[in-house]
Amino acid sequence: MAKKLMKGAEAIGEAAVQAGCHLFFGYPITPQNEIPEYLSSRLPQVGGTFVQAESEVASINMLYGAAGAGERVMTSSSSPGISLMAEGISYCAGAKLPVVIVNIMRAGPGLGGILPSQADYFQATKGLAHGDFRVLVLAPWSIQEAADLVQDAFDLADYYRNPVMVVGDGLIGQMMEPVEFYEDRQPIKELPPKTWASTGWKRDRPKAIINSLFLDPAELEQHNIDLKKKYDLMERDEVRFATYGALDSADVVIVAYGTVARVCLSAIEALENDGIKVAMVRPITLWPFPYEAVREVASKAKDILVVELSTGQMIEDVRLALHRPRPIHFHCRLGGMLVSPEEVIDKVKAIKAGTSEEVHYA
Amino acid sequence: MFSRPLTVLVGHFGSGKTEIALNGALDLAADGEAVTLADLDVVKPYFRSRSARHILAEAGVRLIAPEGENVYADLPIIVPQVRDILRQPQGKTILDVGGDGTGARVLGSLTDVLPTTGIEILVVLNFSRPSTPDTAGAVAMVHEIEAVARVRVTGLISNTHMMDDTTPEIILEGARLAVETGAALDLPVVAAAIHEDMAASVNGDLPCPAFILKRIVKPPFEVQPQRKTVGPLFVLN
Repeated sequence: MAKKLMKGAEAIGEAAVQAGCHLFFGYPITPQNEIPEYLSSRLPQVGGTFVQAESEVASINMLYGAAGAGERVMTSSSSPGISLMAEGISYCAGAKLPVVIVNIMRAGPGLGGILPSQADYFQATKGLAHGDFRVLVLAPWSIQEAADLVQDAFDLADYYRNPVMVVGDGLIGQMMEPVEFYEDRQPIKELPPKTWASTGWKRDRPKAIINSLFLDPAELEQHNIDLKKKYDLMERDEVRFATYGALDSADVVIVAYGTVARVCLSAIEALENDGIKVAMVRPITLWPFPYEAVREVASKAKDILVVELSTGQMIEDVRLALHRPRPIHFHCRLGGMLVSPEEVIDKVKAIKAGTSEEVHYA
Repeated sequence: MFSRPLTVLVGHFGSGKTEIALNGALDLAADGEAVTLADLDVVKPYFRSRSARHILAEAGVRLIAPEGENVYADLPIIVPQVRDILRQPQGKTILDVGGDGTGARVLGSLTDVLPTTGIEILVVLNFSRPSTPDTAGAVAMVHEIEAVARVRVTGLISNTHMMDDTTPEIILEGARLAVETGAALDLPVVAAAIHEDMAASVNGDLPCPAFILKRIVKPPFEVQPQRKTVGPLFVLN
């Protein structure tokens, strides 16, 4: 298919269609409204169905039903809307349902604002809802990557029978870039037929019951053990990251994800001209986090800098990645303000000059 | 282009109206004109003309847009000064209207004060966008905008590009499709908007005048650090 110039939201919607998703249930919230807007006209063209639900709570439970019937299904929202979906996402994880959830993050907490943010890192990677469960979290830095990762998300969700979340700051929803979809795209996983799906019992197989209620504690314990095995597999097999710059001997290694990593890359290129060598590790999966990659690159760099549109939620994972406790420098903008390349350049120069204060932690 | 007292830019979502409006306002200001730019975008929440208010202020362009914290709101706010400037135009005025029929509806609410002379209503076309892949799509878009905006479109602007992947072929093919659309609608293509870096490679081959653009609307990672020395940057916030 020829390249098109697409807004992130349009590309995410089209990616879902290309991945065979014919069902979308959602509720409007800025800055991701163009995803449902696009799919509301696009899905009928492929025989699909778009429903604007009465709330986010209803949306996620519609996903539960559709996924339980073996259909590929997606919803999208922005930060406060994802919070409302939390309970339903836990139910989907508990019932082993493949659903794709897109979070175009806006600034919080509370109603916050409508401008870009990355402040839902903890929510996505560590505390999405109650119970022992995980979701795969994919974080694109471009519109093309958003389109690719949304398609991958459907394969990963089906393969693991688990919710997969795609997170981008508001820019990923709103900015416009060339995007290409590949007609011969193959699933990234071998996907068996969904014999577990509840599609009507004709006495030809065991009854397919979609449920997250286990009253017998021994049974529920075993269920949790089985889920944990699945999450261990994801940690082993699904870590994704990219590295940039002076990986062998950097003055500073930056850890950043999403569009912030692109800001940092602009800074890295400018710093190179000043003779300052900076490397970067960009997590593409926020969970599972690329601990080993960060550890390796950090071991060859004098200093570590984390850059985020949050107050330092990813610092915890960077600390866990390091061999030994080391000082971490941090730069952020909050509330919908954005990091500029110049700010990153100034921060790196301050680190080099010894005038940057490290993050203090116990 | 922008020769009449009032230029109204309409078109489909993401066709480049804001970029053309900002460039037009800055060009006119540089020529010593008194310029007013009205941001009537009620469709997109980011990358609106009002985000460039520092650049516009420095150039002496008057910006009509929501103020205070409403600058950032995703609400359909039409400030009353819009009606004032349409009733009593001063110098040159550009209206940057939101995308698609949805955005053009705002114009429909202003028809009682829209002048009947000295006005140019231009549809911006980018054939790289999924909503207008061909001339049939563009013709339908023009009809939809005319219906909800309750105005007659007077011309087309060809703005087919692919951001950093733009080639001369993409620009020329877009201009050809714009001329074809114009022929179907009996409308002139008043200009083809071309990024300054591409101007030399297509200028002679264009079927219409060129309107040379500087890229103003861009995400933070595309902002060259050294640009800060020459003035405030276009940012989201």
